[in-house]
Amino acid sequence: MPSKQTQSNDLTQWKVKDFVFRVDGADPGDFISYDEGKCDSCGNCAMVCAPGLWTVPKGKKARLAPKYRELCMECAACYAVCEADAIYFRYPNGGAGIIIKHG
Amino acid sequence: MSKFDVAIAGGGPGGAYAAKTAAEQGLKTVFLERARKAGEKNASGCGLGQRWWKDFPDEMEEIVKLPSYRETHHCVFKITDEEDNLVTTLSTGFTRKDNERIVHKGVPRGMSGTAVYRSCLDPFLVDLACKAGAELRTSTCVTDVVKKNGRVTGLRTDKGEKIEADIVIGADGAHSTVAVKSGIRKRFRKNEITLVPQVDFSCNESRLEDVIGGANLVWFGPYCGAYQVNFRDGFHLGLGQWLDIWDTKPTDFIKRILQIPAFQAMCRSVDAEIREFQNHLLPWMPHPPKTYADGVLLVGDAGGFPCPLEGEGVWHACMTGKIAAQVAAKAISEGDPSEATLREYEQRWKEPPLGREYEFGQEYVNFWRNSAFNPELMKKLVLFIGELQYLNFPGPVFDWSDDHMTIFNEHLGHFLDVLPDLSGFAKENLVPLGKGISMENRARIADMLTGSIQAKLRGFVPRWPIRALLGKVLGVK
Repeated sequence: MPSKQTQSNDLTQWKVKDFVFRVDGADPGDFISYDEGKCDSCGNCAMVCAPGLWTVPKGKKARLAPKYRELCMECAACYAVCEADAIYFRYPNGGAGIIIKHG
Repeated sequence: MSKFDVAIAGGGPGGAYAAKTAAEQGLKTVFLERARKAGEKNASGCGLGQRWWKDFPDEMEEIVKLPSYRETHHCVFKITDEEDNLVTTLSTGFTRKDNERIVHKGVPRGMSGTAVYRSCLDPFLVDLACKAGAELRTSTCVTDVVKKNGRVTGLRTDKGEKIEADIVIGADGAHSTVAVKSGIRKRFRKNEITLVPQVDFSCNESRLEDVIGGANLVWFGPYCGAYQVNFRDGFHLGLGQWLDIWDTKPTDFIKRILQIPAFQAMCRSVDAEIREFQNHLLPWMPHPPKTYADGVLLVGDAGGFPCPLEGEGVWHACMTGKIAAQVAAKAISEGDPSEATLREYEQRWKEPPLGREYEFGQEYVNFWRNSAFNPELMKKLVLFIGELQYLNFPGPVFDWSDDHMTIFNEHLGHFLDVLPDLSGFAKENLVPLGKGISMENRARIADMLTGSIQAKLRGFVPRWPIRALLGKVLGVK
């Protein structure tokens, strides 16, 4: 048998969603609120979001992925970097959302 | 609805230790955890310092039995350059004298670090609190505080409950609802908080033992430092950066380390495979901001307590949880949970050993912002470390590319070539670091060094000339 080698591809080509776990069937609620009117298109939310849920097309307002409830890692970095106060993050409902198995 | 003496938001180490201490003082205590069970939503390094054996010896006797526990003794720095070549490896040492600084039941523990997953540690600490008589409510997220005449008198939950208590403790992490809703502080500013992406790897336990043993690793190069904390059969590879200087995708940042050939070789040698990706905010500031108000105290990350030098936070959370619960018990017995009474909390945590963490907090933060978090400086530093290491004893002996004195002379030349570059970096980066040391702290350093030098020269030299000389060097009276 060939020896098992961890190829560089394995370590650098993985997708966030394949290595993040969450509680099945529990409703996390609408835990991010976004006021487009306040957005100044700085792009910081898109920069810090590991699963890439924020997109800021050039010169346009930020957009939050509609499926964020199923993909968010609950780090609250988007809220922490938004100096225009357009983003508000609260924790998801108790018992729902992300699970960290080996934290 | 029954009223509690103490209601605690959060079931991490800070919340659990506060709940344990409060219950032991006979207080009717409840603590609320948003996960379904303790430790289900928590990520951190998670290395615990040697001082756990001094400050939490009873807990340590049990922590060593947890399934993910690994004892660590030293730290190995893997230094890589811009092209990801491994330039050199540095290691911290082991000394018997330091090991004997902390002795628990006859066993020296002064160099025993602990690595244990939060999914093991948190349930253990929560269980201690429950055994002491505290009530735990899981799957319960705190959404607001209850206020009466400006005083915090309870917590509101996502289930619409109102939980009333004489004193509320906010142990709800970096993104603390209690801190903000009670009005103690606003959310942390971007230069007070770091984003920490982290990859967890599974690996072969006996290979990890054979290949890496009791070491933790630091991958250090022109990308800032990444820590590798090793557990029984897995490890964390993570890094952090302040949000005001964050300039790349978290996954791209961490893949910067994962692409290093020496890192990949290490992964192969222990059969490591990516198991989980985690991402969390870690407060990192010179010293905690205000941590109390009428009827409310903040502990752990919620209070901004992580160490400003190495970001350790679990010890700080347990220490502040314990102090907060003691202050709460006293305030309740005196019938006065007002802000004036709770000020004692700040006085208490500012005492040693915890308070000493923040005496040099500004200098620690300056140090990082001017060194490891500056890639341009790191490029030069890596070059410098490489040459400096070469000039160490074994280097010239094992370079057989020409006769030894010629080779040694060449490397000395390289080293001198790097020096002007380094003097630039010293001027731009190190001098401001020195200037950044406050007068108060220069005096502290001078006094501390005077004490230790005089202790060695007792009887020969009086104190004042030593202090005068050090004062002159450090530019302080």
